[in-house]
Amino acid sequence: MGLRSYWESIKIRYKIGDFLTYFLLAVSVILIVGFFAIILAVIFLGGYERVTWEFLTQAPEHGMTEGGIFPAIIGTVLLVIVTTIFSVPLGIITAIYLVEYGNKESAFYKFVNGSINLLASIPTIVIGMFGLAFFVVYIGGMIDNTFYGGKLTWGKPALIWAGLTMGLVSLPVVVSSVREALEAVPESLKEASFALGATKMETILKVILPRAFTGVLTGTILGVSRSTGEVAPVLFTGAAYFLPYLPSSLTDQFMELGYHIYVMATQSVDVDATLPIQFATTLVLLSITFILNVLAIIVRRRLRRELYV
Amino acid sequence: MSRKGSDKVIVVRNLNFYYDSGHVLKNINLEIEKNVVTALIGPSGCGKTTLLRVFNKMYKFVDKARVEGEVIFDGKNILDDNSIDDFELRSRVGMVFQKPNPFYLSIYENVAFGPRLRGIKKKSVLDEIVEKSLRAAGIWDEVKDRLHKPATSLSGGQQQRVCIARALAVEPEVILMDEPTSALDPISSAKIEELIVELSKNYTYTVVIVTHNMQQASRISDYTGFLLMGELIEFDKTEKIFTSPSDKRTEDYITGRFG
Repeated sequence: MGLRSYWESIKIRYKIGDFLTYFLLAVSVILIVGFFAIILAVIFLGGYERVTWEFLTQAPEHGMTEGGIFPAIIGTVLLVIVTTIFSVPLGIITAIYLVEYGNKESAFYKFVNGSINLLASIPTIVIGMFGLAFFVVYIGGMIDNTFYGGKLTWGKPALIWAGLTMGLVSLPVVVSSVREALEAVPESLKEASFALGATKMETILKVILPRAFTGVLTGTILGVSRSTGEVAPVLFTGAAYFLPYLPSSLTDQFMELGYHIYVMATQSVDVDATLPIQFATTLVLLSITFILNVLAIIVRRRLRRELYV
Repeated sequence: MSRKGSDKVIVVRNLNFYYDSGHVLKNINLEIEKNVVTALIGPSGCGKTTLLRVFNKMYKFVDKARVEGEVIFDGKNILDDNSIDDFELRSRVGMVFQKPNPFYLSIYENVAFGPRLRGIKKKSVLDEIVEKSLRAAGIWDEVKDRLHKPATSLSGGQQQRVCIARALAVEPEVILMDEPTSALDPISSAKIEELIVELSKNYTYTVVIVTHNMQQASRISDYTGFLLMGELIEFDKTEKIFTSPSDKRTEDYITGRFG
């Protein structure tokens, strides 16, 4: 075989390889985009007619086959608020520790870092079970036994326990995005601050956090949007099948959008009759998550611009 | 000019600096005169920036850094953590960095940062300090109408002068400058050089400047130290260093035979 034909054979092999690579890539892209489009289309077409002002502002009626989803929206908003109050400050403090204080060689740093990564990979249903066992039964039960003489007050599924459990889900998201924002603050700014005699704490509060503010905000929004879409963590810890009233205290149960969809799809009196409402509810839930994510992208883009000033 | 040579503001004795396993500064002895400009020159990696960062103890933020010897400032050995605290030291020994590094704050807040750390809250006092510092840094006229605009919106040279004003605002006695013009264009550099001379002549600051640029050292400094591989080869009046150096290695360096 001459050199020439040898090169020819290699060229052909390359061409086949190129073709196969492109083919596989194209198929993957089409599959991903296609499924995404189909999901969106089905939900939108199935639900958009039902999403009216009345739907958003009324309670479910007639075994959930009519009426709206107002209590579920309110419940979701309250859940998000409790989750945020718990996970955002804790997440920011953890991120500050990891970036500014922790000695990366130390066992404690590795432990904290590993715990955060692990927490992100635990199935949410497991976190839900943990919430039931730890927050509801253990902590709640302890409060009841200590302060209420055993009367069932805190030791039952409630808004606060659901919020704390959901906080565990959003915590890793908050930590990792805040961390990224803190790490993006240039070393030269910290040096300038130290050279003026600022302590580490002053530098963090006056130089690093203001500079990282947009990133911290993005992290918060992403964490929150993650928790609006989850159902499993609140399944046992606070979400209610149906409530004739809106939650008025931290110990009340509440309705939640994701759980509401699950209930309508599996446990309502007439599943078929609730189908359009299911679609509409899903559409509302998706829209909320989508809007939160877009918000995060806008904020992040602003951050990027600022960094290149 | 009579005050020159009258006072030593920083005296370095037998200074050794180690980073991890490397011996970065080897037995440095030198005296920095008050109210003059002292330049430290030498090839990359000779330890000049490290030496500069010993004077305000910025080396403390580097892991595995270890220092031996004495650095006497105002009668106290600053290397002894009990003799002077970092806050006081850095109030009296300010620093300007290689790349302009204004905070993401307004021009005004950048300059007011140091005074605010020292508990000054009164607006009239801050206004006065900010104006005085920006004037001393020769940039007041350019920024007086936009004090509340972000400092990062200025040009590189202007940013560097705001950073100098920021360092001046806490009224230090010594200003350390780590290659302050290396990131700037020639015109901005010339302005900064002018400013450095003015700071020592008219405002009686002591300036220690690290520079790569030998012409710059010869233009603006009164004393020059030449470092090579962690050793202070020669330290003398700038004129002497650049006209008749006593060490062969200094001569080789300033005539451009290496480095």
